[in-house]
Amino acid sequence: MPVLVLGVLGAIAVPAQRLKPAERSANVESFEHVWATVRDKYWDPKLNGLDWQSVRDELRPRLDAAKDMEESRRILNEMLSRLKQSHFGVFPGDIYHDLDSRESRDEPDSDEASPGIDLRVTDGHAIVTEVQPGSPAAARSVKPGWEIVRIGKTDLAPVISRITKQFHDSTLLDLRLARAALNRLQGSAGSTVQIEFVDSADKKVMLDLDRAPPRGKLVRFGNLPPQHVWSEWRKARPGVGYLGFNMFMDPEALSATTAEAVQGCTDCRGFVVDVRGNPGGIGALAMGLAGWFVERQGMQLGTEYLRGLTINFVVFPRPEPFRGPLAVLVDGSSASTAEIFAGGLKDAKRARIFGSRTAGAALPSVIERLPNGDGFQYAIANYVSQGGKPLEGIGVIPDEEVRPSRRQLLEGKDPALDAAIDWIAKQHRTQESK
Amino acid sequence: MKATRKFGIGLMLTMAAGALAPADDLPKGETVLDKFVEVTGGKAAYSKIHSEATTGTMEFKAMGLKGKLTAYAAEPDKRYSEIVIDGVGKIQEGSNGEIAWGMSAVQGPRIKEGDEKAETLLQGKFNPDFTWRDLFKSVETLGVETLDGKECYKVLLTPKAGAPITKWYDKQNGLLLKMSLTSKTPMGDIQSDSAFSDYRKEGELTVAHKIVSHVSTMELVMTVETVQYNAEIPKDKFDAPAEVKALLKKAEK
Repeated sequence: MPVLVLGVLGAIAVPAQRLKPAERSANVESFEHVWATVRDKYWDPKLNGLDWQSVRDELRPRLDAAKDMEESRRILNEMLSRLKQSHFGVFPGDIYHDLDSRESRDEPDSDEASPGIDLRVTDGHAIVTEVQPGSPAAARSVKPGWEIVRIGKTDLAPVISRITKQFHDSTLLDLRLARAALNRLQGSAGSTVQIEFVDSADKKVMLDLDRAPPRGKLVRFGNLPPQHVWSEWRKARPGVGYLGFNMFMDPEALSATTAEAVQGCTDCRGFVVDVRGNPGGIGALAMGLAGWFVERQGMQLGTEYLRGLTINFVVFPRPEPFRGPLAVLVDGSSASTAEIFAGGLKDAKRARIFGSRTAGAALPSVIERLPNGDGFQYAIANYVSQGGKPLEGIGVIPDEEVRPSRRQLLEGKDPALDAAIDWIAKQHRTQESK
Repeated sequence: MKATRKFGIGLMLTMAAGALAPADDLPKGETVLDKFVEVTGGKAAYSKIHSEATTGTMEFKAMGLKGKLTAYAAEPDKRYSEIVIDGVGKIQEGSNGEIAWGMSAVQGPRIKEGDEKAETLLQGKFNPDFTWRDLFKSVETLGVETLDGKECYKVLLTPKAGAPITKWYDKQNGLLLKMSLTSKTPMGDIQSDSAFSDYRKEGELTVAHKIVSHVSTMELVMTVETVQYNAEIPKDKFDAPAEVKALLKKAEK
């Protein structure tokens, strides 16, 4: 099955080696596959007016004469670059090693169990942002704000440095950095991972932490790998509802949690929806969730363009939606459906966004392995948010930029949530004074 | 369920189309539609049916999604269907001649309006293949086209309300082979093509047991497993869910 991915992975150089006849043949086959895939699957059948046949006619002789893999790859990427779109690229198969494949872990056959730590990379440092209550990390008193400097045998600093170099000008940087570290924490349930921390007193702490099954219910959605999915709601402060969930999956459970939250918060002054670290999921759920917070009929989050089909992301308001001020929390690990949700509500002026810029990875894209062993990434749709701009490569830019510092995390603060609550309180005061 | 029943989304078959035959040689649209009634059981058999219950499966192969389908219909114009898909939940649709609604865990409840409502109400008419004269203001045979090596009459059906539908009937045996329409929905115009096959007897009627629909590059396969005519259907089966009723009540205010 092709791998659904987010991000742009093209044009990464590897040392040149002379081609053997079989490799040359595989490169030609790969060239034809890439060319035909774009011709048949690109969302605009006219390819934005590009003469695709001419591109093939121009580049195929050069591919035939290519001396090594790097040159072949460069020609394929030149072909794809003519589309002037992100999410199209050809890259060496081993580029995933530092990113998010199982190959990056010490135990390559491991699963998704973890010590119960969430983290983000800030200013080159992997910082614990959350410790799941009841988790092995909580049992060993790991705290938000601690820095992780080593996982197993891997020093994080060079990994962070390499990824930062590769993605320094990409909105995907935060997402790639966080995932690179999180993947190294994961493994099989019951296994142990050794982590070197820097604690709140700036002292090095070495802990062997058990890995426990992830939080939530294991949910299957078609061909995608099973995912652990959870959703929760609470009152973040008196009069402020808070809804958090890790993925836009398991519609029935998310709908039930949201219904309970909205019905349990009819007297709330405002509501916070937290999609930080949320990688997305079922695209249509962005509309479904928005329906709990929208009263206006016909409101649209954006538009998705596929080959021969344009889909308006229309929100269908629930019978009794929450009508008060709505804040949405995002960060660099909010991607795809999470961005569609936040960006659409921002554009429609229904929500105020707090946190940091999202991953800018809203397009559904596919990675295939080419006959020559390289990876080929291509998007199968285009998405434009209601404000008229694509989210891809841009992301959702918060109304209020709030990045937690290590110090704030050590003090137990959640600055983005605090800013949202302050704004809600201000809205309430303004409303009352009228 | 009748042979031409359309569930949800559809199609765009890559079937080769032959040149249109001269208009003089063509039977009238009425003749083609009447022949379909005749070859699938005849007026007498259709007249005996007052309700039906259908079960089957729906499969989105590319996504690896498969669901169980259950549908009920009853005179004069009541219809309810639900598809339960692992990882997605229940997708329900219903109509009663006056209102048309949909509800799913993904998008919640909604009341259909405009052309979408008209189309759903049209599909919700009981025995639409038999009662087509009540539903369409015109039916016109446009020509002959070849689908998968079979010559077909291409018929344009223009409903009294809603978007036109094009159907292709096998010139030789009169069976419906393909249907094409563009549904106008709040989410956009959805062009679909559906291919009908695996015609088999269910009671006195001959029914397509496989419908392959294409929308854009997506394929949806519906397989009919059972059809029960004049089955006892609980009356509340056609009641709209509470969430839909709440929307209706709100709309009345």
